[in-house]
Amino acid sequence: MDFQALLQQFLSKGVAHQASTFDSLWIFLPELVLSSSIILMLLARLTNVDRTIPTHWIALLGGMSSFMIVLYQFWQISLPDAIPVQIFTGLAMHDPFSIFFRGFLTFFLVFVIVLTVLTGIPDDEDAPDFYSLLSGAVIGMMLMSSANHLLMLFLGIEMASVPSYALTGFLKGRRQSSEAALKFVVYGAGAAGVMLFGISLLAGLLGTAEFPQLASRFQAVFAGREVMQDPAARCVLLALLMIAVGFAFKLSAVPFHFWCPDAFQGASAEVGGFLSIGSKAAAFALLVRFTLSLTGDSTGASQGLALTCGLGLGFLATLTATFGNLAAYSQRNMKRMLAYSTIAHAGYMLMAVSALLVLQSGNAGPDAAYRAIQGLLYYLCVYLFMNLGAFAIVAFIRNQTFSEEIEDYKGLSHQAPVLAIGMAICLFSLVGIPPLGGFYGKAFIFAALFDATRVHWFMWVVLVAGGVNTVISLFYYLRVAKYMCMYERPADAPAVAMPSNSSPGMYVMLLSGMVVFLGIIINPLANVALRAAHAFL
Amino acid sequence: MGEVGLNAYLMVGAVLFVCGVVCMATKRNGIGILMGVELVLNGANVNFVAFSRYTPLGLDGQTTALFVVVLAAAEAAVALAIALNFYNNHLTIDVDSGNELHG
Repeated sequence: MDFQALLQQFLSKGVAHQASTFDSLWIFLPELVLSSSIILMLLARLTNVDRTIPTHWIALLGGMSSFMIVLYQFWQISLPDAIPVQIFTGLAMHDPFSIFFRGFLTFFLVFVIVLTVLTGIPDDEDAPDFYSLLSGAVIGMMLMSSANHLLMLFLGIEMASVPSYALTGFLKGRRQSSEAALKFVVYGAGAAGVMLFGISLLAGLLGTAEFPQLASRFQAVFAGREVMQDPAARCVLLALLMIAVGFAFKLSAVPFHFWCPDAFQGASAEVGGFLSIGSKAAAFALLVRFTLSLTGDSTGASQGLALTCGLGLGFLATLTATFGNLAAYSQRNMKRMLAYSTIAHAGYMLMAVSALLVLQSGNAGPDAAYRAIQGLLYYLCVYLFMNLGAFAIVAFIRNQTFSEEIEDYKGLSHQAPVLAIGMAICLFSLVGIPPLGGFYGKAFIFAALFDATRVHWFMWVVLVAGGVNTVISLFYYLRVAKYMCMYERPADAPAVAMPSNSSPGMYVMLLSGMVVFLGIIINPLANVALRAAHAFL
Repeated sequence: MGEVGLNAYLMVGAVLFVCGVVCMATKRNGIGILMGVELVLNGANVNFVAFSRYTPLGLDGQTTALFVVVLAAAEAAVALAIALNFYNNHLTIDVDSGNELHG
């Protein structure tokens, strides 16, 4: 055994067990089920079976069964003697955190498929393409949420991005849709390239690509050296900056947010809702796992790194939330406004990650860090319902009036009260008004930020910025609600009918009902989120 | 002939990366931008292979490089399809003519 192997053995102590290949395949079953549903959809079209069995049933079956399997896995890992394992020789991680996100994403996939069935956006001819792209993107996001290796980080991001580009350009004949897809693919490919270069530098400097070893290698390489003065350490920071470009693109954080409003306005509302929730949730899962692996127990050289990353993300979060809210103010197109609101919400959630890292660097104890992760997860769950609800209502109104301008929503509450009330609930929850779910998401995150102020004064700035932004956002969300409820419907406007017992009406009521429910009964979901957070530290 | 060191390879990777970034920033032609992306990805690939030879990164670097080649091909296929669709709608591939979405 040479020195390298000894070092390897020493460094990998305390790391989770590895599952055998067969067990790994068994754990990987949800992704495999989704993959086989894609193959089934394509085969069904090849053999003309899709004339008799609509494709969305196959997609729905795949999504639901993989969600069921993830639920079973969550139950299994909640048993007292269950331990997190690494699967496929350490490429991916199987712990409560990754299971939480895989459950989240498959659940979300089912909701998006139901929405597209209700709005009928892919016609029968295109349905196999649309649903295979959708399921494929979700598989990529699931890989992102369980990635445990730098290669899987990049593979997951690309597997989620490439189908998203195609989905954005799915309305093939429309000028706006093709423009949106081109902008998205150009920005996305550029950001991915820069990120890959950063990954190559990081992997080379630390001599490993496995997440669990990153922190110990960093500490071993930079032990006893002044981090900021060391050229090699500055090179690591440069690599991290390049990786941050890729993350900022996926999260639509401020300097790399340009694609987001254009892509959302050009794509159909269903795709916009899918991108705004799914890819954001997966990117946050990856960001939390990557930064926590990189900083490790944040002792020695890692402490400075954790603080630098935390403050950097806090600064980025402040900029993102402020810019998103200010730019949303002047929008006339509803989808564009929701895109800027998505940017702002990415800022709020980024604040939770920043608080987490700052708390880590201050050695504030695991409980405070758990609360920061719990806040992020709770916010994401509420965000699923409120943002999907808003995009769904935009799609339902578009199907009847062929317009997505906020002006054209005047007086909708008189013709379709279900849509107006559902929209009002979703928007008020996006603001964070008390009895709704969004309030508790924000409350959790701001509490974590308050904990972090004890470690570094800059977190006060982030906390105040978060509070001020919440107030600013009230105005533009209220404007939409005002148009819908306070005006008479103009006589020449096309009529909108949405009876509450129709299936789209039920769908809207279900989503907005969940937003209210999560604002009243908090404990079950908060406990699940806390259990997922315990996968770390 | 002495052996070429790690730094020489990293230099090639860095030059490729910078060429790619400059290409992405200055080209107005959609296909030209995609060529810049390919340069950046290949710059990173040179780094990976060099690191796998000279550092403990080992085979991980070479595997990653192989996967990146495959991904670059997949991404290029989707990007070209989107560029073709853009051309069908706008009769040009100049990215500056995509100016309908703004605000």
